[in-house]
Amino acid sequence: MSSQGKLLLVGDNPFHGISHLSQEHSRVRGDTPTNPEYAARLIGLSVENGADGFMFSVSGTTLSILDILRKNGDSDGLRLYAIVPYAYEYVRLAGALGGIPGLAKKLVREIVFSWNLRAVASGLNGVVRSDLASLFKTYLLYEVSRVRRSAGGKAELESVLLHQLITDLCLGLGLDWVFKFYTEFLLKIRITPGFNTGNFALLVKKLGEWDINLEDVVIAAPFNKVGFQVVPSKEECEKALAGLPKPNVLAISILAAGYLKPEEAVDYIASLPNIKGVAVGVSKERHAIETFKLLKDKLS
Amino acid sequence: MLKLCLDKLKVAVVGFGKMGILHAGILNVLPKVKLVAVCEKSGLIRRFLKNLFRDVLMVDDVGELSDLGLDAVYVTTPISCHFAVVKSVYDLGVASNIFVEKPLASNYGEAEELYDLARRLGGVNMVGYMRRFSVTFRKAKELLNQRVIGEPVSFSAYAYSSDFFGIDKNSKVRTPKIGVLKDLGCHAIDLALWFFGDLKVKNAKIDSLFGEGSEDSASFEVETEGGVCGKFDVSWCVDGYRMPEVGFTVEGSKGVMRVNDDALELTLKGGEKFRWFRHDLRDGVGFWLGAPEYYHEDECFVEAVLRGGSVEACFEAAAKVDRLISEVLVKAGRVE
Repeated sequence: MSSQGKLLLVGDNPFHGISHLSQEHSRVRGDTPTNPEYAARLIGLSVENGADGFMFSVSGTTLSILDILRKNGDSDGLRLYAIVPYAYEYVRLAGALGGIPGLAKKLVREIVFSWNLRAVASGLNGVVRSDLASLFKTYLLYEVSRVRRSAGGKAELESVLLHQLITDLCLGLGLDWVFKFYTEFLLKIRITPGFNTGNFALLVKKLGEWDINLEDVVIAAPFNKVGFQVVPSKEECEKALAGLPKPNVLAISILAAGYLKPEEAVDYIASLPNIKGVAVGVSKERHAIETFKLLKDKLS
Repeated sequence: MLKLCLDKLKVAVVGFGKMGILHAGILNVLPKVKLVAVCEKSGLIRRFLKNLFRDVLMVDDVGELSDLGLDAVYVTTPISCHFAVVKSVYDLGVASNIFVEKPLASNYGEAEELYDLARRLGGVNMVGYMRRFSVTFRKAKELLNQRVIGEPVSFSAYAYSSDFFGIDKNSKVRTPKIGVLKDLGCHAIDLALWFFGDLKVKNAKIDSLFGEGSEDSASFEVETEGGVCGKFDVSWCVDGYRMPEVGFTVEGSKGVMRVNDDALELTLKGGEKFRWFRHDLRDGVGFWLGAPEYYHEDECFVEAVLRGGSVEACFEAAAKVDRLISEVLVKAGRVE
């Protein structure tokens, strides 16, 4: 780890053309960062300047980026934090393929042709018995195999995080078994289970109530000085953070989607306890160099 | 078996697709609500849901909800089913308080009938025009009411998404039959009615990009009762709109306002400029799922049921959106 135990990750939002400040900001920025070659170059530059790894939603775009990094030899030792499923892509696909049945057919085809026999067997079991856990297991094995195939053996897939939309949906619906199953299954395949959430304080409370060991998981959640998307409040989330048994939180949205200047954003993060690391997106070469130099400097 | 929940509102969701799941997730965390039943036609989905939920009853017909003593029903079925489902909820006395995802119905005739029923039977009725709960549009409405840009002179509105951008027109992909106006354009229309009052369609054009009869982009001009002219442009094939976006530019006698889902800008004739992002407008929620607007919307509906009173957008307001869409279709030569 590059800086006093703080893990510095490159986030992938700009590579999907996302700006949480405004879509207009993303449109004005142009589509350069969504080009996988350029994105891979930005990650390479970030690593040269202090980044340890890459946090990304598993999608065609990010898998292409990983492919390029592997081919260029830039994935050696890269620490990967993969987020699944990339909800946006699946919702869009469902729309284009005639709803959930069309999407399911496409996924089944891809899983079968992935030749991941363990995943196929588990999936068959799930369909026959209407067993969601088996289907979930199939899906996770498929995503892990996709990431490993693209990133190659020299990158380290440290954690697979459940996408924010799914985490928060399951949290809202009180589906404790999903959290328990997910945690147990990933620990069994020696990957740190992670949860990406927009409801950090509630998630921490519920994981505790459901007897899920907080030391076993990582949580990616928004933390920033202005409390942007920090739910239900900055104070509640800081309190929940302070109560954790160890630093296992990856702070995201630390720049509040570009609303904050990097210096003031990083000063706030440095003041918080139990932060394992941060993920920050970069869209230009200069950003990559300056941002990770600053993160390395300020968080060390 | 359903558990007694005397201190909480008993709510059922009819139609467990994307929006049904989202509302169920939010309702379940609201302290005064208990999700007690889900009505879903698909046997496969019901079978999985039974494994998923322990305390929620799964049924396949709205009639099976009638003995549950429900306080409210959320209707989140495909739009083509809204009319039949809402009518059944009223006719069978399933619940008197109804939330329906937008738009209210698949045509104005059905929407009008549902509004009539709601007016006669009472209860809280609401349609999911969630952008009325967006901090940027709420601020815009407040500033328009205060006449900060003076009297409105004209406006232009857009509703864009990239859902079908870049798809080969010869591919097998077909855009949803419901059309872009009812899927996306209805949000812009609802906001325009909220901002400016009743509108009359002057002319309209609808284009098909994916197969004969599909409604993939629409442009039309309107006029308010006070003579303010407005233009709409709606499409789900525009690059750069990963998330659907609605926006307005309003020309006033004292300045110009630009507002969309993310930001609000004011340029006054004296040269003063102001800009607010969501960050600046206290966009806080108790639980984040999808977008803050959904939480605010559900919270507002639940509070209205608990305390009595009306909410926006009610069936009456939503029926006006369906009426305007109907007018656009007629003007564009696509009679409903």
